[in-house]
Amino acid sequence: MLEKMFNPDSVAVIGASRKEGKVGRAVLENLMQNSELTIIPINPNVDEILGLPCYHNILEVPTETQVDLAIVVVPAKFVPGSIDECGRAGVTNVIVISAGFKEAGIEGSRLERECIALSKKYGINLIGPNCLGIIDTASGLNASFAANMAYEGNIAMMSQSGAICTVTLDWAERIGVGFSKFISLGNKAVLAENDFLQLFENDPSTAVIAAYLEGVKDGPEFIRIAERVSRSKPIIIVKSGRTSVGSKAVSSHTGTLAGSDAAYNAAFKQGGVLRADSLEEMLDYSRAFSVCPLPEGRNIAIVTNAGGLGILTADACYNSGLSIASFEEKTVERLREKLPPAANFYDPVDVLGDAGADLYEHALDVVLDDINVNGIIVLVSPQSMTDVPGIAEKVAEKIKESKKPILCNFAGGSRIAEGEEILNKYGIPNYSSAERAVASMNALCNYYTIKNHKRGKPAETKADWEYARSFMDEASENKRRMHGLESLDILKAYDIPVVDSRIAKTLPDAIKAAEDMGYPIVMKILSPDISHKSDVGGIRLNLRHADDVERAYNSMMSDVRHYMPDATITGVQLQKMISGGKEVIIGMDRDPQFGPLLMFGLGGTYVEFLKDVSFAVAPITEAEARHMVSSIKTYPLIAGVRGEASSDIDSIVQTLLKVSQLVTDFPEILEFEINPLMVMPEGQGCVAMDIRFTLNLNE
Amino acid sequence: MVSILVSSSEEFSGKSSICMGLGKIFQKSGLKIGYMKPVGNLLIDVDGSLTDEDSEGIKNLLGIADSAKYVTPIHLTDSLIDDALKGVEKDLDKRLSDAFSVISKDKDVIFVEGTGCIGGGSMYGLSDPEVASKLGIPMMLVTRFDSISAIDRILCDVRIVGDKANLTGVILNEVPRNMEDRVTEIVVPFLERKGIKVFGVIYEDHTLRSVFISEIVEDLHAEVLVAPDKLDQLVENYLVGAMEVGSAIKYFRRQPNSVVITGGDRADIQMAAIDSRVKCLILTGNMRPSGAVLASAEEAGIPVILVRGDTMNTIERMEHLIGHAHIKQQVKLDRVTELLRNHLDITAIAESIGVELNE
Repeated sequence: MLEKMFNPDSVAVIGASRKEGKVGRAVLENLMQNSELTIIPINPNVDEILGLPCYHNILEVPTETQVDLAIVVVPAKFVPGSIDECGRAGVTNVIVISAGFKEAGIEGSRLERECIALSKKYGINLIGPNCLGIIDTASGLNASFAANMAYEGNIAMMSQSGAICTVTLDWAERIGVGFSKFISLGNKAVLAENDFLQLFENDPSTAVIAAYLEGVKDGPEFIRIAERVSRSKPIIIVKSGRTSVGSKAVSSHTGTLAGSDAAYNAAFKQGGVLRADSLEEMLDYSRAFSVCPLPEGRNIAIVTNAGGLGILTADACYNSGLSIASFEEKTVERLREKLPPAANFYDPVDVLGDAGADLYEHALDVVLDDINVNGIIVLVSPQSMTDVPGIAEKVAEKIKESKKPILCNFAGGSRIAEGEEILNKYGIPNYSSAERAVASMNALCNYYTIKNHKRGKPAETKADWEYARSFMDEASENKRRMHGLESLDILKAYDIPVVDSRIAKTLPDAIKAAEDMGYPIVMKILSPDISHKSDVGGIRLNLRHADDVERAYNSMMSDVRHYMPDATITGVQLQKMISGGKEVIIGMDRDPQFGPLLMFGLGGTYVEFLKDVSFAVAPITEAEARHMVSSIKTYPLIAGVRGEASSDIDSIVQTLLKVSQLVTDFPEILEFEINPLMVMPEGQGCVAMDIRFTLNLNE
Repeated sequence: MVSILVSSSEEFSGKSSICMGLGKIFQKSGLKIGYMKPVGNLLIDVDGSLTDEDSEGIKNLLGIADSAKYVTPIHLTDSLIDDALKGVEKDLDKRLSDAFSVISKDKDVIFVEGTGCIGGGSMYGLSDPEVASKLGIPMMLVTRFDSISAIDRILCDVRIVGDKANLTGVILNEVPRNMEDRVTEIVVPFLERKGIKVFGVIYEDHTLRSVFISEIVEDLHAEVLVAPDKLDQLVENYLVGAMEVGSAIKYFRRQPNSVVITGGDRADIQMAAIDSRVKCLILTGNMRPSGAVLASAEEAGIPVILVRGDTMNTIERMEHLIGHAHIKQQVKLDRVTELLRNHLDITAIAESIGVELNE
C-alpha cells in the first residue's frame, strides 16, 4: 500500500523554495540527491527553481506525469487546500512537514481535523503533519529536511519526535550506522506506528525495527500487530513519559495522556516488543540485532584479556539473568593447548594482557565450537602489549562468519579508538562498557524466546452472559455507577466462587441471618460510597453469637456514620468466616490506550506499599495468567515456603481468566477488583470475599 | 386574600424554591399570587436600587409586577443591626405592614418568605414567628432533613413558634434516598403523633443541587478558553485534581458529571479529565494550558475556563456555589414544580392556607 510513498518515480514539493534556509529548499535539495527521481516543485510565484520547471499548482502538472508522492511544506493554514488539490490531482501519498497543527492549539487542531477528513475523502496516505519527513536508503529517497542522508542499513526507525530523528541521524553518520527506512511520525494524524510496523514487516531491506514513541494511537491493535510482526523481526521501542513529570510533559506536548507505564510494559510484553530505557539502549540493541544471529539459549562465554573486566561482565550477566557457560571438557583442553599456563581456561576465559590477535582467534574458535555456549562477549583492554587494531580485525572477521552472536567491549579511550574504527567499518558495534554489551546480549536472548513463543488464543470460559448483560442494563437504568458487595452475583454469572453470604437491612434481620447461617461470621457494611471498609470501621470479624452480632451492628453503624456521614448505607452483609486460606487481589483498570489492564497481587495490609503486582492486558491466555501469578516477588508465599502447603494456584489462574473475560465482554466496566480472593490450599479452590467495580454510564 | 409565611430551621433549606414552586402551581390554578420577603439578607443592586437576590429571582420567574421596595421593604444592613442594638427606633413594623397592604391588593394568595432561619431577626423584633404574628398569618416550616437530628430541630422550632402563630405543618426537604424507608415509616408517623402535620417528603435532587457552568464562569470571573457554546450544562459537583495522574483517572471516572479544578500547569491531570469526559475544566492560578491540551478539550467539546485565584480559593467558591445555587433558570423552576406536585400534598397545603384549588 505504501510502496510508492517510499519508492516513488516522481515527487512534488508543494511550497518549494529557492531561498537558502527555507524548508522548501532543503527538501528539494535532499530529493535532488537522487538523479533518477522526477522532481516537481510547486510554487504559485515562480516558474523555475534550482533549474527545475516549477508549476503554480499541482493541478497544473501535466496528466501524463503521475505524481507518486507530494511533500507539503506550505504554512499550516494552506495545508488543507494543498491536500484537497492533491486529492483532485489523484496523488495518494502525502507527507505534511509543516507545523502549526494540533501541537499549536485550537486553530491548528481544526486544520488537522480538516486534513484527516480530506485524506479520508480521497483515500490519501498521509504522514505528519509536523514532521521531518522520510528517508528510504534502498530506493535512494530523502524526502525530508534532515541535514544528512542516512547510510544504507537494515534498521528501520520511526520516531514521534523530529528532533530525535535528527539526533539519531547525526549520531549514525559519525559511526557509520545505516538504516533501511527512517520515518518521522509527526502528529500521526492519519498514518501511525501500527501502519509502519506492518510496512517494516514486509520490507525486505529491514531486519530490525526501532522506534521512539510518546504514545500509541490504537493500543489493542498495536498489541495484535506487534505480536505478529515480532515473530519475524525484532521490535525495539523507547517509550517516554514513564514518570509523573515525564507524563505531564507528554500531555502538554501532544495533548494526549501518556498512559500508565505498567500498561505499556504489559502491552509490550504481550506484543513481543523489547523495551529500551533510553535512546542509547535502543540503538545498542538495534545494532546488535543488525549484525548478530540469535543465541539459542542464555549461556554466555566471556573472552577477555583482563581479569577485572571479565568479573564485571560475569556480574552483569548474572544480574541480567544470563548464565556463564560451563564448558565441555574438550573446550578446556583445546584452550590449554595454546593459551599460556597462567591464563584462565574456564568461563570467563582470560587470554592475559599480552595476548595478540592469534590467541583471541584461538579462544574464539574454541569457545564457539562448544555446544554449551550460546553467545560470546569479547573484552579487550588496551595494555602495553595489546595489538588493538589486529585484534579488532580478527574479532570483526569472526563476528561476520559466526553463527552465534559475539558482542564486543573494547574498553578504554584513545588507545582503543583505532579498534573501534575498524569495527565501525564492518558495521559492528563496540559497546563502551561491559554492561551495555551484556544488556544487548540479553535483548538478543529475550528476542530468541519471543520469536519462538507462540502466544495462542486467549482462553474462553463459560459464562451466563445473559444474566451479566441484564445486570449491566439494570445498573445503567438506575444510574448505579459504583458497585460493591451487593453486586457479588455478577461473579456467579462468570462461575467465580463467592463466599456464602446474606444481606440484612436491620439489626433483627442481621441476627436472624446469622442464626440461620451458623457462627462464626463476618459482618461488613453495605454502601456503594465506601471503598475501604476497614478504614471506616465497616468490617467486624469472628462474631460468635447473637450478642456479638448486636454489638458489632451498633458500633459499626456509629463508626461509619462518624467517618462518612454522607455515605449511603443500605445495610450489612453477613459472611461465613473462612480461615486457612491466603488473600490475593485480582483487579482491572481500563487503560486509556490499551483497554482492560488486569492486575494480580498478594492481599494484605502491605500490598499498596510494596507495589508487588503483575499486569497484563485482557483478554489473556492461560500461560499469561499463570505468568501473572508466578511473576510477583512474593510468589513463594503462595506456592508455599518452608514446608507450608501450596495454595490452589490453578484456581487463581482460572479466576484471572474469568475476570479477563468479564471485563472484555463488558467494556462499560471501568475498574474492577476482587479483594480479597481467599485462596485455599491446593485442590480446595478459592472464594471471592469482596468486590467493587465502577461502570461507565455515559455511553 | 389569604397568606402564609414560609419559615425554616436553617439557612439554605429550600424556602425560596417552595415559595416559587407553590406560587407557580397556584398560578396555574388561576389564583393571583403575591410574594414578599420582608427582610432582605442577600442584598444586590438592581438598576441602582438595593434589593434581595431571592426576591428578585422569584419576582422574575413568577412574573410579579410589584415594586421591589414593597416586596422587600427592609434590608438587613450593618446600620440596621447597629441601630437595633443601640435601641434606635426604625419603625420597622410600620414599614412591614404598609408593604404588606400594598402587596395584598388584588391578590388571592401571598407567600411571605422568612429570612435565613426561624429565629433570625429576633434582635430587631422581626423573627419569622414575630412577622407572622404582626401580619396575622399562619406559618409553614421547611426543614432540610440531612440527619435524624432534624427531628430535634423541628420540635424546637414548634416551641419557638409557640402561640405567636398557627404552624400549619412541615415539609421535609432534601431527604437522602437511603433514608426513604426510615423517614416515611418511622419519622412521619412520629411527627404526626406529636400533632405536627407533614405536608410531604422531598428527596435530594441532582438537578436542583447542580449549577450551570455559566454560573460558575460568572461567579469566578473566569475567562472561557474553550467551548463557550457549551456553558449551558449542569454540573453536580467538583473534583480537585492534585494527585498523580493514574489516581486522577480513577477519581474522575467515578463522578464524570463533575467540574475538575486543577492548576494550569498540570497538563497530565487536564488530559485525564478530558479523557474521562468530565463536564468542565477550571484552571487556577491564571496559568494558561498548552495549545495541544486546549485542542484536545475543543475536540472533546469540554469547556476550559481560566481563573485568577489559586486552587484553594476556587474550591471555597465552588463549595459555596454547589447546593446553594439560586434558582434563576426555567429548567430548575420546572423541576421544582414537578417535585412539589409529586411529593407534596398540595390540596392539604391549600386547605391549611384557606384557598381552594381548581383541578
